[in-house]
Amino acid sequence: MTMPANHTLPCTAGIGLRVPHYREVLENLPKLGWVEVHNENFFGGGAPLRTLLKVREHYPVSLHGVGMGLASASPLDQKHLSALHRLCEVVQPAAVSEHLCWNTAGEIVINDLLPFPYTQEALSHVAHRVEQVQEKLGRQLLVENLSSYLSFSHSEMSEGEFLSELTRRTGCGILFDVENLYVNMRNLGVNAEAFIRAIPAEAVKEYHLAGYSVRDGCLVDTHDHPVYPEVWELYEIALRHIGPRPTLIEWDSDIPALAILMDERAKAQQRLENCDACAV
Amino acid sequence: MPALCNDLSSFARTIVHGEEPSSEIDTNYTNYSVAVAVGVYRNNYRGNLHDALAGAYPVIEQLVGKDFFRRMTRQFIGQHLSRSGNLHHYGAEMSGFVAEFKPAQDLVYLPDVAALEWACHCAYFADDAAALDLVKLAQIPPVQYSELILCTSPACHLVRSRFPIAAIWHAHQPGAPGDFHIDFDCGSCNALVCRKNDVVMVFELAEADAAWLQGIQAGISLGEATAATLERFPNFDLQAVLLNIVTQGVLVDFSMANH
Repeated sequence: MTMPANHTLPCTAGIGLRVPHYREVLENLPKLGWVEVHNENFFGGGAPLRTLLKVREHYPVSLHGVGMGLASASPLDQKHLSALHRLCEVVQPAAVSEHLCWNTAGEIVINDLLPFPYTQEALSHVAHRVEQVQEKLGRQLLVENLSSYLSFSHSEMSEGEFLSELTRRTGCGILFDVENLYVNMRNLGVNAEAFIRAIPAEAVKEYHLAGYSVRDGCLVDTHDHPVYPEVWELYEIALRHIGPRPTLIEWDSDIPALAILMDERAKAQQRLENCDACAV
Repeated sequence: MPALCNDLSSFARTIVHGEEPSSEIDTNYTNYSVAVAVGVYRNNYRGNLHDALAGAYPVIEQLVGKDFFRRMTRQFIGQHLSRSGNLHHYGAEMSGFVAEFKPAQDLVYLPDVAALEWACHCAYFADDAAALDLVKLAQIPPVQYSELILCTSPACHLVRSRFPIAAIWHAHQPGAPGDFHIDFDCGSCNALVCRKNDVVMVFELAEADAAWLQGIQAGISLGEATAATLERFPNFDLQAVLLNIVTQGVLVDFSMANH
């Protein structure tokens, strides 16, 4: 089987590929830089894996995890990690990413992306786990900044500083989710520009863009809307400070027609190209 | 990491068990109260688990209706914690739960339909297995056939029921004709779940074939399983069942019994 490049993602715009679009993408092979899928849907064989391998014949693939729980207060789930390892062996992804969050505390597993206090203790803990993952996979892991609805009073640093130090200690990359940063800016009063300054530009390997929804004044990272103008603005700021990187449109709920997703992708692609033009 | 452990455990109890947020969680947000934030996390927690159950049990949801299914999942989620970061692992206990769920007591077939759906869910996500190596099998001298230990595919499950669960399942698949008739007096059903060309399928096995396959799945030798089946079902046709399950990709490997 021939596969397109797998060492790095192309510096173009891609889409999060979800079930409703599998068939259309495989039949029409739209012009797309790359696609990203959620790891856990492909742990095992059968139809999901076969579909992903067909996609992989035409596009570079990024594997994006939602279940590893890098900051969980429990031993790293070795079965989960082995399943990811097997998937990487077969798919040869161009990038592998996880979130800066936790999902397990003792006996309780919460299948969500949960925030934690940014302390030195947490930093050592997460760094150790990122190292374990990178060692097992034999490759760099990208770690994504989180969208949060609450914060901890005893955090000793900002999320940006935490990520920056994490990359320094482990050599991991950063998946910069611009919408998550915007959500935190609005919800928690996070200083977005300080975040962008805090993270080392060379460690940023990918951007995410998505739409949120609002519940009782709280911005919730639902991935069920187009990218809002304020998030596009923040993306443009990130492009100016950090530079162009592979950029993904995520849409996970109330998933629209592929054409709408492709339109969103084109907007990101246009901004990436404008950015390149400025640099020249 | 004792402090982190405490923080996460306390936050987990706030989300799952409804405890008040600890004093370590900030209480002042510009646009909403901390109760709203906690509400979002609680809602995400239950919503994600509900969606996982709806994904694994689409037939149950059709049989009882969306509102009733939501009542069921709400109680199920209260009783069963998730144990894996992979949401596809959630919901294995549904059959036992449904059997005890008072409002659904009249739907006597529901627990077995749930067991069949969970088997299908597991079959969908099961690992691939190599096809049975018929060349290697042909090298076994016939005199040793009785000592063969046959291995079934990780996607293969046998679900036995007093109710026509396979017919119920087929009638509620996408694209099934709506005007079905299910005869509840038609006796027991042995639903065989397998995966062929990556498609999860449900077949019905005769009582004798199911009894035999259950023996094979328990790891007893071909000779023992066949003898035990023939004792109860003198008309048991080994060749027919073998042909059937090999065609469906149920058998993936074999070894010889150790004596």
